[in-house]
Amino acid sequence: MARLLERVALISEGRMWAWLLLLPSLVLVLAVLIYPVGSGILLSFRELRLTRPDLGTPFVGLRHYVELFSDPVFRIAVANTALWAVIGTACQFILGLISALALNRGFRRLLPGMRLARVLVLLPWVMPSVVAGHMWALMLDSRLGVINDVLVRLGVLERYKAYFADPDTALAAVPVVATWGAFPFFTLFYLSALQGIPDDLYEAAGVDGAGAWLQFRHITWPLLLPIVVATVVLRMIGMVNAPDLLLVLTGGGPGHATQVLSLFAFQTAYAEFNFGYAAAISVMMMLMLMAFTVVYVRISGVLKE
Amino acid sequence: MPRSQRRLDRIFDALTAALVLVVISFCLFPLLWTLLTSLKLEQDIVTPTLQYLPRAITLDNYVTLWRQSGFPTLVVNSVLVTSMTGVICLSIGTLAAYSISRYRFRGRSQLLIFYLVIRMFPVVLMIIPLFIMMRNLGLLDTRVGLALAYTTFLLPLCIWMLKGFFDAIPPELEDAARIDGCTRLGALVRIVLPLARSGLVTTAVFVAIVAWNEFLFALMMTTSQGSRTWPVGLQLMVGEFQLPWGPLSAGGILSVVPIIIFFALIQQSLIRGLTAGAVKG
Repeated sequence: MARLLERVALISEGRMWAWLLLLPSLVLVLAVLIYPVGSGILLSFRELRLTRPDLGTPFVGLRHYVELFSDPVFRIAVANTALWAVIGTACQFILGLISALALNRGFRRLLPGMRLARVLVLLPWVMPSVVAGHMWALMLDSRLGVINDVLVRLGVLERYKAYFADPDTALAAVPVVATWGAFPFFTLFYLSALQGIPDDLYEAAGVDGAGAWLQFRHITWPLLLPIVVATVVLRMIGMVNAPDLLLVLTGGGPGHATQVLSLFAFQTAYAEFNFGYAAAISVMMMLMLMAFTVVYVRISGVLKE
Repeated sequence: MPRSQRRLDRIFDALTAALVLVVISFCLFPLLWTLLTSLKLEQDIVTPTLQYLPRAITLDNYVTLWRQSGFPTLVVNSVLVTSMTGVICLSIGTLAAYSISRYRFRGRSQLLIFYLVIRMFPVVLMIIPLFIMMRNLGLLDTRVGLALAYTTFLLPLCIWMLKGFFDAIPPELEDAARIDGCTRLGALVRIVLPLARSGLVTTAVFVAIVAWNEFLFALMMTTSQGSRTWPVGLQLMVGEFQLPWGPLSAGGILSVVPIIIFFALIQQSLIRGLTAGAVKG
């Protein structure tokens, strides 16, 4: 053991040390990430149905992709994915920014309880999506839901509503749940960015007579912008890629009203075991995400600096 | 400062406090409601008019959950999978992150960007080949297989976080140790790792929380009681019990308690680590 350690210590003086440290991670990433993604892409050109072993795994070229373009569910899923990602991210961004600004002001003005508030705000974000889904399903329940009860008492609703049975309300309710779970992501980043802005900047602006809005417009926002761009991209990717909440809350229903690409791909793989087709859906999704990211980063121009 | 300005400040303070309170209530209400539901008797949950506070507090739901749903097995599986994931990610991730943080080699920045870009890979695109791969290796429906699958998205995350913590340790300390005759390995083990301890713990806890919560891979890759984790078990309960709100809430609360405890312990350094390394989506 001691001799082994000595030899490793000797190697650590060598030129390859940096690469040797990287080696285990590279091997693992190659095995569980590169290889699967690569073979997933190849799989999208093949037929593979676990329920039909008699079909084998023949090469089918672009057949899955051609099929996708005439698949009505795919079309609904593309539209819903865009809607769900954009609306969800927008809600999360707005609530995240507002709460970060409020907390930041609280910290600067030394209001009591802000440290605790910062911890509590982050709690939904570490909640498992399964539990988050069930919590909200219980609150939104058509017979026992507290949200229905409150709305009826306030006179907003006439009678209890089955939110997940009506396509419109289902499509509106799920982003609310997603917002609850993910807006703290924005709060976290924006609050720490805001706390890094030196007080003098605001004081100087105040001396020059700039009010709260002008200070936000000319100091806070420009300094926040790079992190805004980065977090919005990350969050959009997260929204597009994660079907968990929809899986728990609606399963894509009623009908295909809340079907999104990630869920469609997952169900095609998990429920129908149609792996080739599911891979093709995933590849299309990845291409769309990449296109979105490139365009978005170009437009926002953060990489120019 | 003029008096009117001070009054204005105070009004804004009150508004700020009110806003923070509203946001916190929004965050906490679902948790509180679930806790209340888990403590209610069945007849207080399923009622013609909503019963807000439990008329009697009961632990029946927890007992039902523990006895009837195989929850203890699920929790044991989750604990094992989570710890294995943590050990793999942390040991391998530490070496890689240290190398990236300290050495300037060709392809370094490309590697870092690559570790960020891979979050664009759709989960399903990875799950399908992993499923086939694990089946061929006989690792499908095993805890080891699931832990390995988790490293696909957790190892890159872990490397980014740890790199941030290593970057914060001045390299001069190692240089000094090297002048005193320490090898590079010695400097890593004796100087850097002890200094990075809180960063290592933070990363470990973060990896553990994500692995503990994970649902999709677990749903796809486990088929039996032997390796199923609690999120999958909880989800399957919906079909098993009729109107399962009581036990379901109890399960939610039980599985969330460890997360809250761990999160409270590490939150400060977690916030630092995440915002420095820019990670979890």
